[in-house]
Amino acid sequence: MSRPLTMPLVLLALASLVAMMLSVGVGSVSVAPGDVVAVILGEGSNLQQTLVLELRLPRTLSAFATGGLLAVAGALMQVLLRNPLADPYVLGLSGGAAVGALFAMLAGLGGLMISGSAFAGALLATLMVFGLAHGTGSWTPSRLLLTGVVVAAGWGAVITLMLAISPAQRLPGMLYWLMGDVSYARTPWPALAFLVLVCLLVVPLGRSLNVLARGPMQAAALGVAVRPLEWTIYILASLLTATAVTMAGSIGFVGLVVPHMLRLVLGNDQRLILPACALAGGTLLVLADTLARVVIAPEQLPVGVITALLGVPTFLYLLYRSR
Amino acid sequence: MLKSFRHTAALMSLALAMSPGAVAGTERCATDDTGQEVCLEQPASRIAALSPGATELVWAAGAGDQVIAVVSYSDYPEQAKQVTSVGSHTRMDLERLMALKPDLVIGWVTGNPPEQIAALKDLGLPVFSIEPRSFEGVSSTIERLSILAGTEDEGFAEADRFRKGMAALKKQYQGAEPVSVFYQVWDEPLMTVNDEHLIGKVITLCGGVNVFGDLDRLVPRISAEAVIGANPEAILAGGMGEENRHWLTRWEAFQSIDATTKENLYFVPPSLIQRPTPRILKGSQLFCEKLDDARAKR
Repeated sequence: MSRPLTMPLVLLALASLVAMMLSVGVGSVSVAPGDVVAVILGEGSNLQQTLVLELRLPRTLSAFATGGLLAVAGALMQVLLRNPLADPYVLGLSGGAAVGALFAMLAGLGGLMISGSAFAGALLATLMVFGLAHGTGSWTPSRLLLTGVVVAAGWGAVITLMLAISPAQRLPGMLYWLMGDVSYARTPWPALAFLVLVCLLVVPLGRSLNVLARGPMQAAALGVAVRPLEWTIYILASLLTATAVTMAGSIGFVGLVVPHMLRLVLGNDQRLILPACALAGGTLLVLADTLARVVIAPEQLPVGVITALLGVPTFLYLLYRSR
Repeated sequence: MLKSFRHTAALMSLALAMSPGAVAGTERCATDDTGQEVCLEQPASRIAALSPGATELVWAAGAGDQVIAVVSYSDYPEQAKQVTSVGSHTRMDLERLMALKPDLVIGWVTGNPPEQIAALKDLGLPVFSIEPRSFEGVSSTIERLSILAGTEDEGFAEADRFRKGMAALKKQYQGAEPVSVFYQVWDEPLMTVNDEHLIGKVITLCGGVNVFGDLDRLVPRISAEAVIGANPEAILAGGMGEENRHWLTRWEAFQSIDATTKENLYFVPPSLIQRPTPRILKGSQLFCEKLDDARAKR
């Protein structure tokens, strides 16, 4: 990769490191920066170790992984569907996951079962849209988009129905899940590993993706195997989103806006945009979650609220300034 | 974390050994409402109550002074308002909770998010989850909490007082003339309770017949039409706040309801009846008096 491409990535990586340090250092209980460093070096009091290592760090890493996954998935979906409004959830994946998660909550299951059920729901939604979009005709992005949007509306109805018939005491948990909340996440490692793996996988595809973004005919003319590439993107984006949704519920906005923001600033080269999305999406969610934890502490806000409140003005500003 | 517990425990056993009459070294065990047994080597001295109801029950058990953390809306007794809050019962600030170093957490079976309770258990805290669903459940919860807190004298006395009070009410209203009752938990959407709900049990106790008692859901959402169709002889409602009769006014427009024509529209302060705590004895007495009033108008 040439130097002009690596520079933004280095800057973004630095920004994400700063965000993570901030997130680990800030909370409703104050731990001095020196003490945070001491804890990370294996010292500090028991309480400080619990706060930093067992409560803040896993949550920070989970937020980073979730944000990264969503932003990369969003960027891939936008290329696949050649539609700027596409986000990771546009094809009904979050709806399927939500139905799975809410079903587990209604049944009174906790923790792992909710995650498992959400993941199963997300995969079911993906397969359903994939199968239906094929139909008897050809498999085109516009057909995929329409199928996905209609299926998503169906999931929406099922979610509303479940909320309407669920016992009152389960409602708060369900609503938090729907708004997206990192406090559900238990261990960040599988998601982080998956994020790194996918980035390594898609960057070599970047050149083909760049061509695909200009249209399938051109891509085919330039020797790109369009159909297999589209399928790969679809499956990858779905798996990314499913992992993110399973971690933290359906957090809106990150997947839609982070790729657009980066394109406005960095241009539309997928080799750069995709890894940049992973870093910027992660950074945005880490910052948002830090705010969600402390803004009205001890009350906790769902992180989805903050991502939108932070992202909307930033995005509008960039859009306003762009030519 | 565990290390610091042992440390505190060692200090406390030393303190206890010096106080006369204390039973040091014996384990205190109680089974919570999820069927899990919680054992403490020493009486809990720093209790975190993760629901407003749990706060009330710990106070009833005589261990109010040991409460170091509560959640939002823990408004009873008055002293509970002075205790540090760790956020809402649906989303706790675990960081703040850990910093308060509790040695016993009183959870709410269906009210607290399971992931957060699991996280607390992973951090090595003993979690005792409660959810009384009957009058006896209230008494037994008070007793079990007092065992863990080492305040058996007060706890068992309070449980006994509650048990006897409820038994006396039951005896008093055993042969009472039935009154058909609609109890309104919430206004928009309109919600009531079935016979399984603790409030439903209060209705039965007072000789009332809950017109929606047979519905499957604990807190069913119903239509105004269904209430008119059921034609209850008395309508009782809570409301926003402790003396807001606003929810009852909507029924005044329907002259076809017996409760309206006989002016049997009663307000019952929600705090006395909507939490499974000893205050429900007072609430039940009030509830029964209202039904007596309805009977007197026949």
